[in-house]
Amino acid sequence: MAIKSFVQRVVSQPEFGPFVLLVVEIAAFSLRSPAFLSAGNISNLLAFTPELGMITLGMTLLMTAGEFDLSVGSVFGFAPIVMWTLYNTHVASLEVGFVIALLFAVIVGLANGWFVTYLKIPSFLVTLGMLLVVRGTALYVTDGFPQRTWTADSPLMNIVVGEFAIGGLYIYASLLWFILFAIILGYVLTESKAGNWIQAAGGNPEAARARGVRVTYTKVALFILTAVLSAYAGITSSIRVSAANPNSGTGYELEVIAMVVIGGTALSGGRGTIIGTVVGILILRTMRNGIVLIGVPGLAYNIFVGGIILAMMALHSWLERRHHAGT
Amino acid sequence: MPEELVRMDRINKFFGRVQALNDVTLSVNRNEIVGLLGDNGAGKSTLIKILSGALRAESGEIYVRGNQVKIRNTTDAMALGIETIYQDSALISQLSIARNLFLGREPLRAPRFLDRLDHDTMNEVARKLLKQVGIKKEIPPTTPISALSGGERQAVAIARAMHFESELIILDEPTNNLGVEETQGVLRFVRGARDSGHSCILIAHNIYHVFQVVDRIIVLRRGKTVADDIDPKQTTIEAVESIITGMPIS
Repeated sequence: MAIKSFVQRVVSQPEFGPFVLLVVEIAAFSLRSPAFLSAGNISNLLAFTPELGMITLGMTLLMTAGEFDLSVGSVFGFAPIVMWTLYNTHVASLEVGFVIALLFAVIVGLANGWFVTYLKIPSFLVTLGMLLVVRGTALYVTDGFPQRTWTADSPLMNIVVGEFAIGGLYIYASLLWFILFAIILGYVLTESKAGNWIQAAGGNPEAARARGVRVTYTKVALFILTAVLSAYAGITSSIRVSAANPNSGTGYELEVIAMVVIGGTALSGGRGTIIGTVVGILILRTMRNGIVLIGVPGLAYNIFVGGIILAMMALHSWLERRHHAGT
Repeated sequence: MPEELVRMDRINKFFGRVQALNDVTLSVNRNEIVGLLGDNGAGKSTLIKILSGALRAESGEIYVRGNQVKIRNTTDAMALGIETIYQDSALISQLSIARNLFLGREPLRAPRFLDRLDHDTMNEVARKLLKQVGIKKEIPPTTPISALSGGERQAVAIARAMHFESELIILDEPTNNLGVEETQGVLRFVRGARDSGHSCILIAHNIYHVFQVVDRIIVLRRGKTVADDIDPKQTTIEAVESIITGMPIS
């Protein structure tokens, strides 16, 4: 009986469906392609995943609070442009450029939050506008050309994305940062007062405000957090691949939102899960990696992503209905 | 002589050129349940929203425990011990019972890294409160509000007001959309609130419900107080109805 209720509890968790999908996916790929579980492929998989993952963590909290941000991909591309341009033109050291780039992200987040909360414009429209403004600025500042990044040598680069080997695995420091951010933000969402406010702000902002929850403050803070994480991820990426391209990050916003909802966070706000998001990130990244390895044309990738999103949404809505019917 | 808890004095409120409240005065004593009656548009909700900080009056004073106060928002009202319970709107359906109870006033525990919630205290207090407001079913405090019935939700809102020592609990149409059993539950909580030292203002369309629990009835008609000292034990429902509508008993 105790075992049965334990199993029921596990199955009814919103993270359970995505987790099963991930296990099935990994099993299927490793059966079809022996190279899938090789150290080389896992290293490859874990190189880019933390960068997209950091944006996704911020987006999870933001979506739990009932908003979302389409400008993350642009900020991802723009922040490294700021840092490297300042460095290459000898205006600032790399460290100072890094701080200034993050401050730019704070301003972008602040502007997003201000438009959404004070002017009460839906976040879809506000952040769509911001996407174009930020991307346009990145292209204008650089004339569309990538910025040099290989002339620099700073301890900051090693802290952010230094490479080291464990056994046969090559790991970047960004993976450790991602794990740390995930633990902290997961803790914030479920264990802290801020988490309670985030969920309340997304669930029923009017009722939350009536209880003294600072809904506006919470949402603006999350827009800033998401922008800063996107900027940090963009800088990480530029150091790792030794290129700051004004076009990088294009289209990331939709992939990030897909990861969040596949993980079980409600698109309508009020309910979110960092664990689910981490699983969602792994599902899509593994999918992109795996289908190429088993010989599916890479161009077919989006068919699978779309299919997974539809299947996961169907599963979540089914679980939701069953949950309500049962009580 | 009963002690006066809240007094709203000569309150005026306009919406554009329409005068919603015209020199309305309302007082509530300690341990008193007041029924606020009136037809649609009489100004009941407007008056209550001013007291709970959701609206601001053009003129008039509010006194709490004899001191004049300014109520600018709902936080001010809560700090003065005035808690308003609206039908359904006050709870967040995605959050658990315990999280709803403590929303905005979360207990924290050491190590207080990033304001860590004290889940144990929250759950324990929630369990005790649910019992107090008469929910006999064993409902875990981690249950989301969306899984509760209308009456249970109302009970959670009342439990919250009671726990935070609100001296005045305002219930705006608390029995709307509730079943017979649940309505009785809510009325029982109201009586219980008085017994544990709280005052209440009860707004309801259903005069029968009001008659069952209140000590005194106040009637508003077109923004004016037309009666403020009706003892439900000394009068009939028909008589009160005629005061509400302004038409003689046929």
